[in-house]
Amino acid sequence: MNQFGFEFNISIAEIILQVFSKNAIELEAGYIPFLADNESKADIQVECFKGLQTSNLETLKLLFEAKNDEQRFYSIYETSEGLCFAIYNQQTKDEIQQIAYLNKTFDYWKIYSTDAISLKYPMGPIIMHYLTLYTDAVLMHASCAYDGKTGRMFSGFSGAGKSTISMIWSKAGAQIVNDDRLVIRNINGNFYVYNTPMYYADISKKAPLNAIYLISHSPVNKAKKLTGALAVSKVMAFCIQNNFDKSFIDKRLEFFYKLSQATAIYELGFVPDQQVVTYITENEKQG
Amino acid sequence: MDIQTLSQIKSKFVARQVADELVIVPLSGNVAQMNELFTLNETGKFIWENATSNNTNASLVQLMTEAFEIDESTATSDIETFLKQMDILTKYNS
Repeated sequence: MNQFGFEFNISIAEIILQVFSKNAIELEAGYIPFLADNESKADIQVECFKGLQTSNLETLKLLFEAKNDEQRFYSIYETSEGLCFAIYNQQTKDEIQQIAYLNKTFDYWKIYSTDAISLKYPMGPIIMHYLTLYTDAVLMHASCAYDGKTGRMFSGFSGAGKSTISMIWSKAGAQIVNDDRLVIRNINGNFYVYNTPMYYADISKKAPLNAIYLISHSPVNKAKKLTGALAVSKVMAFCIQNNFDKSFIDKRLEFFYKLSQATAIYELGFVPDQQVVTYITENEKQG
Repeated sequence: MDIQTLSQIKSKFVARQVADELVIVPLSGNVAQMNELFTLNETGKFIWENATSNNTNASLVQLMTEAFEIDESTATSDIETFLKQMDILTKYNS
């Protein structure tokens, strides 16, 4: 159930976002399990306003457009103080539903909305993406299973089997951190995986990241360890990125280089049944 | 593709060395090209790094023969093969 209020502290990947407004904010159900104590010190502030200010968009330099043949998600413009985001209504395509401004240090948002749901899709995931540029982290299209000892992340193209392999690990007793979108953080050289608020409610979770599998369906289970530039590029390809800025790419490349040094990375062709769990654990023992 | 075109295209990419290889990532203004990453082996890395406005195919052949201790015909073939593979990057030169 959605929750209403004037100020919320939300903890995503142990980073505190203070979301506040003079008007009531409606927080969607997926965010509720991520609420933190309002006394927690905020890392990032998100100030919300009711009403749009779109008049100056045409004067700004367009940096990036997130769209495909069917849908337009958001456009990013350059301002003297940072970035400006025009967020489009996902039903009407070109109608702007929100305008958001982010400062150059990625720690202060101003969001202007047509309604009270300030973090509605895709604004929420955009904030999560720029939260990863604020700290040493990345946002991934991936699933993660944690068996109490080892955290394994599974990534791949759409239809590769991220949810399927999550269900297989769940049946084997592992906790599924999430099966679609994850934050990876580097904390003093140790890598951790976190789930993020989704459209459905799920508790906030964290797991160590010990192995990464780039998955695809296969007639037999087979794993191949990746190293070097190939490991870096193949994992980074599944990171959510806005690559219009050189510094963003530099930061991502550095992150994935360190990740590839600290974590085993495999290509995994798998048969979707329980035997893949045994195959993976035995393969890891052999190194 | 020729060396001069490659030297122009390089500014549209961010490169990072990983061991003896190079990962190159395009700067992009849309999501379509966002997850296209490329890896270059040691030979490709050498050609990429030396593809500058000052170098020609001939001068690059000379550099390669010295760096890798190979003959001119091998160096010429390596450069031609690499430049042909780099045709995939021409879409970024706009």
